[in-house]
Amino acid sequence: MKLNRREFLALTGKTAAGAVIFAACGLPERELIVQSPVDLPEDLVRGEDAWYATSMGGFSNGDGVLVRVMQGRAKKIEGNPDHPVTRGKATARFDAVLQLLYHPDRISNPQLRYSKTGNLSNISWDQAEERFANALKNADGALTVVTNPLRGHLGSVASKFAAQYNGKHMAFDPVEQGVLHGAVKSVLGQDQLPTFDISNAQTVLSFGADWLGTWGSPTQFGVKYGEFREQHDRGYMIHAEPRMSLTAAAADLWLAPVPGTEGHLALGIASVIIDEGLVSASNVAAFEAAIPGGVSNVTLDDVAALTGVDADRIKKAAERFAEHTPSVAFGGGSAGAHTNGSFNLGAIYALNILVGAIESKGGIISNPGSAIDDVPASATGASFEAWEQEIANWRAGNVETVIIRGADIVHGMPNSVAIREALEHVPNVIAFGAIHDDTMDFADLVLPEETFLESWGTEIPEPGPGYQVVGTQQPVVGPTISQDESGLVSDARGFGDTLLAMSDGSYGRDMESLVRGALSDLHSTGRGSVSAASASLFTNGALQRGGWWDTDNNGSSSVGRVATSAQGANYSDTDTLGEGNDFHLVPFVSNSIFDGRLAAAPWAQQTPDPISSASWSTWAEINSIQADQLGIKEGDVLLIRSTSGEIEVLAYPHPGVRPGVIGIPMGQGHRKSGRYAEDRGSNVFSILVDEKDSETGALAWAATRVRVQRAGKRVKVPKFEGNVEARPIEPGVPVLVVGVGETAVDAQEANHHLYQKQFLGERKESGDDE
Amino acid sequence: MTTAEFGTHKWGMVVDVDKCIGCNACVIACQAENNIPINTQDRVERARSISWIRVERYWEGDFPDAKARFIPIMCQHCENAPCEPVCPVYATYHNSEGMNVQVYNRCVGTRYCANGCPYIVRFFNYWEPVWPESLRNHLNPDVTVRSRGIMEKCSFCVHRIRRESRNARSAGVEIADGAVQTACSSACPTSALNFGNFNDPDSKVSKMKEDKRHYTLLDQFGTDPNVIYLAKIDADKKVGAGEAATHG
Amino acid sequence: MQQRRELDQVYTNRKLLNGQLDTPKWWLPTVSILGVVVLIGVVVIATMINKGLGVTGLARPVYWGLFITTFVFWVGISHAGIMISAILRLTQAEWRRPVTRAAELLTVFSLLTALVFPLIHAGRPWRIAYWIMPYDISRGIYPNIRSPLIMDPVAISTYLTGSTLFLYIALLPDLGNLRDRTTGWKNAMYTVLSLGWRGNPRQWKMQTVGGILLSALMLPIFVSVHSIVSWDFAVAAAVEGWHSTIFAPYFVIGAVHSGVSAVVTMMALMRWLWKWDDFIRPEHFDALARLLIVVATGWLAFTFLELTFALYGQDAPEIALREMQMFQWPWNALFIIFFLTAYAIPVPMWLFKRVRTNIALMFWTSILVNIGMWLERFLIIVPGLARRTPFVYTWEAYRPSAVEWTIFIWSFAWVTFLMLLFSKFFPLVPLFEQKESQVFTEDVMIGRAKIPAIIREAD
Ligand SMILES: Nc1nc2c(c(=O)[nH]1)N[C@H]1C(S)=C(S)[C@@H](COP(=O)(O)OP(=O)(O)OC[C@H]3O[C@@H](n4cnc5c(=O)[nH]c(N)nc54)[C@H](O)[C@@H]3O)O[C@H]1N2
Ligand SMILES: Nc1nc2c(c(=O)[nH]1)N[C@H]1C(S)=C(S)[C@@H](COP(=O)(O)OP(=O)(O)OC[C@H]3O[C@@H](n4cnc5c(=O)[nH]c(N)nc54)[C@H](O)[C@@H]3O)O[C@H]1N2
Ligand code: SF4
Ligand code: SF4
Ligand code: SF4
Ligand code: SF4
Ligand code: SF4
Repeated sequence: MKLNRREFLALTGKTAAGAVIFAACGLPERELIVQSPVDLPEDLVRGEDAWYATSMGGFSNGDGVLVRVMQGRAKKIEGNPDHPVTRGKATARFDAVLQLLYHPDRISNPQLRYSKTGNLSNISWDQAEERFANALKNADGALTVVTNPLRGHLGSVASKFAAQYNGKHMAFDPVEQGVLHGAVKSVLGQDQLPTFDISNAQTVLSFGADWLGTWGSPTQFGVKYGEFREQHDRGYMIHAEPRMSLTAAAADLWLAPVPGTEGHLALGIASVIIDEGLVSASNVAAFEAAIPGGVSNVTLDDVAALTGVDADRIKKAAERFAEHTPSVAFGGGSAGAHTNGSFNLGAIYALNILVGAIESKGGIISNPGSAIDDVPASATGASFEAWEQEIANWRAGNVETVIIRGADIVHGMPNSVAIREALEHVPNVIAFGAIHDDTMDFADLVLPEETFLESWGTEIPEPGPGYQVVGTQQPVVGPTISQDESGLVSDARGFGDTLLAMSDGSYGRDMESLVRGALSDLHSTGRGSVSAASASLFTNGALQRGGWWDTDNNGSSSVGRVATSAQGANYSDTDTLGEGNDFHLVPFVSNSIFDGRLAAAPWAQQTPDPISSASWSTWAEINSIQADQLGIKEGDVLLIRSTSGEIEVLAYPHPGVRPGVIGIPMGQGHRKSGRYAEDRGSNVFSILVDEKDSETGALAWAATRVRVQRAGKRVKVPKFEGNVEARPIEPGVPVLVVGVGETAVDAQEANHHLYQKQFLGERKESGDDE
Repeated sequence: MTTAEFGTHKWGMVVDVDKCIGCNACVIACQAENNIPINTQDRVERARSISWIRVERYWEGDFPDAKARFIPIMCQHCENAPCEPVCPVYATYHNSEGMNVQVYNRCVGTRYCANGCPYIVRFFNYWEPVWPESLRNHLNPDVTVRSRGIMEKCSFCVHRIRRESRNARSAGVEIADGAVQTACSSACPTSALNFGNFNDPDSKVSKMKEDKRHYTLLDQFGTDPNVIYLAKIDADKKVGAGEAATHG
Repeated sequence: MQQRRELDQVYTNRKLLNGQLDTPKWWLPTVSILGVVVLIGVVVIATMINKGLGVTGLARPVYWGLFITTFVFWVGISHAGIMISAILRLTQAEWRRPVTRAAELLTVFSLLTALVFPLIHAGRPWRIAYWIMPYDISRGIYPNIRSPLIMDPVAISTYLTGSTLFLYIALLPDLGNLRDRTTGWKNAMYTVLSLGWRGNPRQWKMQTVGGILLSALMLPIFVSVHSIVSWDFAVAAAVEGWHSTIFAPYFVIGAVHSGVSAVVTMMALMRWLWKWDDFIRPEHFDALARLLIVVATGWLAFTFLELTFALYGQDAPEIALREMQMFQWPWNALFIIFFLTAYAIPVPMWLFKRVRTNIALMFWTSILVNIGMWLERFLIIVPGLARRTPFVYTWEAYRPSAVEWTIFIWSFAWVTFLMLLFSKFFPLVPLFEQKESQVFTEDVMIGRAKIPAIIREAD
């Protein structure tokens, strides 16, 4: 694929403002006041703003952003129009990060717990460093560095630091992507997650992955989705997910399979395509080679029965997928979060072989490896299996020091691993962070950390755009922690900088020099988006643009084989759970607070969920007809019980869930996390059972079955939607739906007639037609 | 020096409903840009949250044919705005660039305009807006923090328009098409929101609004909005069937 | 006035001035209790202004609620005074005499109270100066005269000024009377207030002409005030149930209905409290009830027309609103109560003379009417706003808060409080009118024939 970078930049608005946007670093010294000739209040705009390009570390999949800074304060985060992944756009989560930067509960000092049962008390950084050094003394071979999945320099520093002490660097991701990486590796032979040329696809077939909302690179995919719809014949989107995510809502055809049967659905689709002879024989052969056991024994009726999706819907999806090419199939999210997750995702990605969508326009585009040596371009959380072993080690007292950063393991781990108890057996728990989280309750040393807006780094987006990208991250504001009304106190330090300061110095002095060094190495390659006479000009140029990318350096793939023959999904039991009705629990990533990492930001808390419009709470989505049958009304407090525990949620029935499935958003139920998140809602992670993907050992977080019981209370769901179910009943219904080629006027006319008929009876209708 | 002059533009938005995925990026972008107070749980529950742009979701049909339709709704900047003549103090009026503007200082908070507005996009400040001191750092200095007791609503990010026209004027050029982006249109990942000048026949929005899918909300009121919608396409809908036909 | 009794002048004076000359025992406790309620109300209002309208139950999209309803209600009540005094005076209905003063008072006090509501319902009441008067002339910013909210204060303050003058002019002879019967500070007060009233023919003539002129002047205002109040709603083209074309006359006749009923309530109270059985007599109730039957039935016709017009156009949202008003909980319950109390119960009862002359029944039926008429305004204002617009994210119900209910109760306590306070210092029944009526109805001998002194007696 040769995407022309300049296509994206074709004289959009931002380019006109480019001169301002890419002004060099440093605070503006001059303040410009221009008053327009008409003295109305809205005319008065004063002050000069500066826009800094940086990368969004930890809060997105490597989006490049512009941060608007005025008088030393960050005001707004927007997409960087120059960045190949973000292309000037945003998600609902961008601006919320500002509120973590200026959060009233930001930790302002290092804090020490003198004994495991004691309270935290403020100490100085000198004391903190001394304590840190002590913790490292006996840590050789007994050190674990726990972080969020880190790409870029921070990842390499964390790994090298762990290696220096013969310890481990383990990444924690409560929404494990290990299955996805495994499936991509086995089917496509790629280390990096690939991207999808949605813009040029005629048909998109996706499974389980909320790729427009929370999965993969939503900004990148969102822009591509816009282009997909803009095509001459608009594109057709098919999405399979047991519960309607915003991605499912955008689809032209939504399939709601029984959770865990996504792989079978994919094979069912394949068998229709093969039976009807819709693709070439060579493609069929390649596909069957990739599927252990082939698909000759798969029948449409069996698949329909197993997945709970009507045979004609499967057929429709299959025909559309095979006939309107280029088409692309991909999946992830809940589709992979099963005991047969690797099979599910493998079968899904293999569909691309069938339609010849690999490395082709409108298909799967693989991503190349890192442009910088030693710096990971791909990262995924350690498998749940690995975590269970690790935590058992902690509990056994085999680990001297655990350093935790960006991973709220106490919040994110299921009850089954008893993480709290394990942490109590680790002599030194050192936690970095900006806001006190649940894990810090078990930390001996708490270190205030700079946010990505205050620190240096690099960020390699994953999935990338199909070529090499290195996003730069620079401090756009000084380290500012508002401690109280008296002013701003800056006492946070970067995680990378602190590790480097505690290290033997063999792999770097500080993050800034690492970044600058890497950029000057890139300069010496002589390729990519920035060309400059000298390394320092190159560095400045890259920082101004928010990074460096080389459209000519693409990835490659090789066709492999679906890695598992364990095709059936196992679910947890509910036999012993007392009264109630059984449901299949499908947790989903919140569009606003994500997996909980943005729960502390009030803007994220208040953002209405796209489907339910609920905020500030944990709700449960169940099918409205089933809810009627069970007598469950909106706002009923439900007790959700699994073999791992129980939580309380608010019922929100709607028509977009498969009956028997209960969807609960992730990310709430923090014991700590600042005033806006503390003790709010319920933590769905806690009741997940320890089912694992048979291949990768990843947590099968969608394999929990629960028993649901009404608690007998009803409260108001904090939602933006009005107090009545929103169905188009009025003639002026704002969403006008037209058929392909139909004009708005025709549709309005048709609607009006239909409405009149509905409201006034047939007589009026015939009268109108006279 | 022509188009940068005051009053030669007619600003407008074209919303391609077909592209809106309901992601709410626009909502938060507006919240951040315009210093909208935090919508606490209490405010949300009591229908007092302020959201200059909201993304409504409509259900059609029942499982498994259920469809969710999203539509972003902000002030429609009606040329013939029912909110304007009822305001006793001219706190809301039409400016010469096609926008319905709100002068917070004059507003006395009768909420009459809000009753007049058929789109229900005007929001009343029931409480003094409060932020913890530290969060005030992210307030946008270009936008007034509205005091309690007044009406507020989408301003078409008028401060951004002013900034761009000022820049254009001092550079002696015309405002380029697309140079002014509102916070919401800038955030919108799928480009469902498009902002521009309807007076310029060559602008992107002028061309978009000629699309055969164009319609305005509640046209029976004759408000002549400057926000134009392009209808949602349902690939499987029978042409001429009426959308309610897809009900389950 | 068939069974007229001869009352001697001394008896009339003593009886009608008993409020001022010797205070009844119930007066102080009642006024004190009302005073406490008023005080509580004032504190609640002050708190609301201090804290913000968040303390109300208002929420999107119901931006107007109890306050505006109660505002319209009190403006409606205020139509009593002019109805009784001006119209009946111009038409020379003799039975009006004992109640004119109280009715005018009710006008003034209910207007004063009504005015409070738009003021305190505003988000920033202290800025109201912007729109009551065009003070910002230096910047060329005038109020928007197209807005009924500008016409409202103009109309209401004109009405208030007129009514106050009207009341005062009618009070002058009695003030002179009181001045002559009091000593000390009271005498000083009445001396100032009576403006040198001596009761000479020229003063009597001017007082009479003034009253008649003001009556004539007040009539158009009377019609305009509630018309304008109705425009607060009628111009809101987007709100179904508000933009009805018949609102102006509909509101006016509704106001007369509720206002006259309020006068009946008040007359019954006065009769009981001050034992004015000799002055406020069953035939007065009889006459008012007959008037009310006509007014109420006219009003019912408008109510019916309002619904008919709404349905005739077959405008779907309009029909949906009526459906909601009449058939959906809780509006349906309110609607039934409204219809029963405003018309279905009282009016058929009034058809019977036994009811019309039974003070207790008249008292309770007139109270019913005002419950109904308050609900009428509530049912226009709130369901109209809470209607289901095509934008379903805006469908919310409205539940008035305790603060709003307190202020609502305050308004009743406040009007009663003012009336009672007034009765301490001024006669509630105009002495001169009463006596004038007696003079007119005395028989005089003309030749051998004994004929009434006036022939114009209507009743
Ligand atoms: N489709 C349709 N059309 C109709 C009708 C209908 O039912 N349907 N109804 C018809 C009927 S019945 C009527 S009466 C007409 C009404 O039609 P118009 O007479 O046009 O009514 P208004 O809109 O009230 O316009 C009056 C204008 O006078 C201005 N004005 C107000 N006060 C004064 C003043 O003191 N002096 C001056 N010079 N100007 C003033 C106002 O600001 C306004 O601009 O509409 C008719 N048109
Ligand atoms: N809110 C508001 N109030 C106003 C005015 C205003 O502009 N706005 N204008 C004022 C003026 S100037 C006037 S003239 C009046 C007009 O007041 P109305 O006469 O009440 O005027 P409309 O609402 O036009 O018509 C009344 C009803 O008649 C129905 N109708 C239509 N055609 C026919 C028919 O052939 N037969 C029958 N039986 N019914 C029919 C209509 O659908 C409607 O429901 O309103 C006055 N009041
Ligand atoms: S949408 Fe509402 S607030 Fe905006 S101009 Fe129109 S009437 Fe006024
Ligand atoms: S609330 Fe403000 S803008 Fe609206 S009508 Fe009243 S004064 Fe005018
Ligand atoms: S300085 Fe700020 S607060 Fe003061 S008048 Fe100007 S805008 Fe208002
Ligand atoms: S145009 Fe500006 S003010 Fe209006 S909704 Fe968009 S971001 Fe908000
Ligand atoms: S940002 Fe765009 S796509 Fe997302 S909800 Fe808003 S209008 Fe829709």
